[in-house]
Amino acid sequence: MKADQERSKKRKNMFYYLAQEEAASSFSSIALANQLVNGIGIVGILLLTGLGLAITFGVMRIINLAHGEFIMLGAYVTFVLQSNFNLDLLLTIPFSFLITGAIGALVELTIIRRLYGRPLETLLATWGLSIVLQGVIKLIFTAQLKYVKAPPYISGNLTLLTDEQGSPAIAISYYRLFIVAIALALLALTSYLLNNTDLGRQVRSVTQNRDMSKCLGVNTSLVDMITFAYGCGLAGVAGTVISSLKSVSPPMGQDYLVDAWMTVVTGGVDKLVGVLAGAFLIGQSNAGIAYLLNDPVARVIVLGAVIVLIRYFPEGLFTVQKRS
Amino acid sequence: MAQSTLGIAKRSQIPFKLVTVSGIIFLIMAAFPLFFGSFQISLMSKLLLFGALAVSLDLVWGFTGILSFAHGVFFTLGGYAMAYYLKLNLAADGNTYGIDLPDFMVWNGLEKLPWFIAPLKYFPIAAVAMVAIPAIFAYLVGTFIFRSKVSGVYITIITLAISSALTTFFISQQAYTGGTNGITDVSRLSIAGVDVPLNGLYWMILLFTGCVLAGSYWLTKSNLGLILRSIKENENRISYLGYDVASFKIFIWTLSAGIAGIAGGLFVPLNRFISPVYLAVAFGTQVVIWVAIGGRGTLIGPIIAAMLLGQVQNYAERVTQDWQLVVGILLLVVVVFIPDGLVGTIAKLFKPKQKVAR
Repeated sequence: MKADQERSKKRKNMFYYLAQEEAASSFSSIALANQLVNGIGIVGILLLTGLGLAITFGVMRIINLAHGEFIMLGAYVTFVLQSNFNLDLLLTIPFSFLITGAIGALVELTIIRRLYGRPLETLLATWGLSIVLQGVIKLIFTAQLKYVKAPPYISGNLTLLTDEQGSPAIAISYYRLFIVAIALALLALTSYLLNNTDLGRQVRSVTQNRDMSKCLGVNTSLVDMITFAYGCGLAGVAGTVISSLKSVSPPMGQDYLVDAWMTVVTGGVDKLVGVLAGAFLIGQSNAGIAYLLNDPVARVIVLGAVIVLIRYFPEGLFTVQKRS
Repeated sequence: MAQSTLGIAKRSQIPFKLVTVSGIIFLIMAAFPLFFGSFQISLMSKLLLFGALAVSLDLVWGFTGILSFAHGVFFTLGGYAMAYYLKLNLAADGNTYGIDLPDFMVWNGLEKLPWFIAPLKYFPIAAVAMVAIPAIFAYLVGTFIFRSKVSGVYITIITLAISSALTTFFISQQAYTGGTNGITDVSRLSIAGVDVPLNGLYWMILLFTGCVLAGSYWLTKSNLGLILRSIKENENRISYLGYDVASFKIFIWTLSAGIAGIAGGLFVPLNRFISPVYLAVAFGTQVVIWVAIGGRGTLIGPIIAAMLLGQVQNYAERVTQDWQLVVGILLLVVVVFIPDGLVGTIAKLFKPKQKVAR
């Protein structure tokens, strides 16, 4: 009883201490700038995880709830290659793209194809798939946390501004910049593939009018398979890049799933620039609000804002007018 | 047209066979506590509540075609209302620190009971709140999303976002909600000063689930049920016929949230705690899985699936850690190969073929 009272007192003191500290760090534009610069890192992750999703959702109109698990698979590919062959993280990117892409193609052939035109069923099936993938990975690698080494040459921070004492006031780690670079590169690559190749033209025509493309001789089922595999491959790359930020574990993909979806529905899937805009809006508003209030509140506000946004712009902010 | 007139013709008869069979099953279920120990009774009560929760989702998804991952949220909101009541009553007994404050509020530096929690000290208010809070929340959300051009998949994504946002919110408001731990160590349920024994609780829950099932059956066989099913089949046509589709959706959405809330409220005295685990997307999908495996639009299917899977899980989790893998495979197989669910498919096999009007 007495011990309890003391404990409660201690807790109280701790609370007051925290409150004071919070009051001390009052609004400062430099700290806000730092927060926003670091928000770019979040933007990179959102872009990376949302890109694959945007492509599969845009072309096939399917809800892939197993996207997080493909991210997880990519991370495990990197883990296996790194622990067995001591490969550099950068060198594992092509492997994780190919392996997760192949698994994606297999999934499309065996499951997604049977549920064509029933988006809610695909949603359920991919949720089942996500449970299965998690379970299988847990069987093989156990639930233990695994760690992946970041490339040693991408370390340290880029300091943009130092304060009077010489310590960095606005700084961002090189690795986060690297994530942004990879994300932008993949965005550019995807955009090139979509706009400048024959296959890309077919993919775009299927996005706009599936039946008409079929009539004009586009092999839509092949397009579907390649699109899904490509989307999953991108998720794999995202997994590889993210793997060294946190630990690698079977449920790791779940953390990214909801955020990736919010990115995609915010920007819309008709244009790739929508994903970039979605990632930027969500990432930066999250960082900004988190600075003014705190992290959980920022997340709640941003998710609420996305709900309101879907209500008024269900197709996202960047849409193309089309006949349906 | 032939389908709908057939439905009306059937409706006018009282299904004596069904009433007898379900009456017998109800009596057998009511005798359950006489033969089993308290662990089984407690487990069975929880599963009955999960069954009621699954039926509430079935009303929305199986009959009206709105897939929701937010039913765990409605369940948990009802649960929190009841948990505050039970916790505050415990605190008033002077069990903690000698003040009228739940322990987690004291730890987090609160000195006074927040005004929005204080009224939950009284049973009638808590009992109303456990229905009203989820129902009002659902009504507001429903009015917001159904009166727009948002459809199908996007509504599902919104429910995902709601579940995710509320989980984060409840975890962050530690002083008011108990954070990740939730509200633990609540007192036993007592109504008007009389402690409710486990058997009593079981019978209450059985009665509740029975009422939910019977009410849902009656609702879905009524004209309203016909409209709901038509909304699922072809929303545009129904609105062209002059029905206000959004109002029907909001009604069934709110009703189902209310049912889920009561289930959550009854769950707390059994479980003795409530936490954001039940708010999270994972629990929401669990409910969806029960309905999918049992069979959408069958009412009895989701209950059977929830109870069977719950019972099997109880034993399987002692033997293997990979029970979730089995559930995942089951879900995949059901969705891909037997989309009507187990009960739906069995019912189809035994149903005499309907005569097609020519």
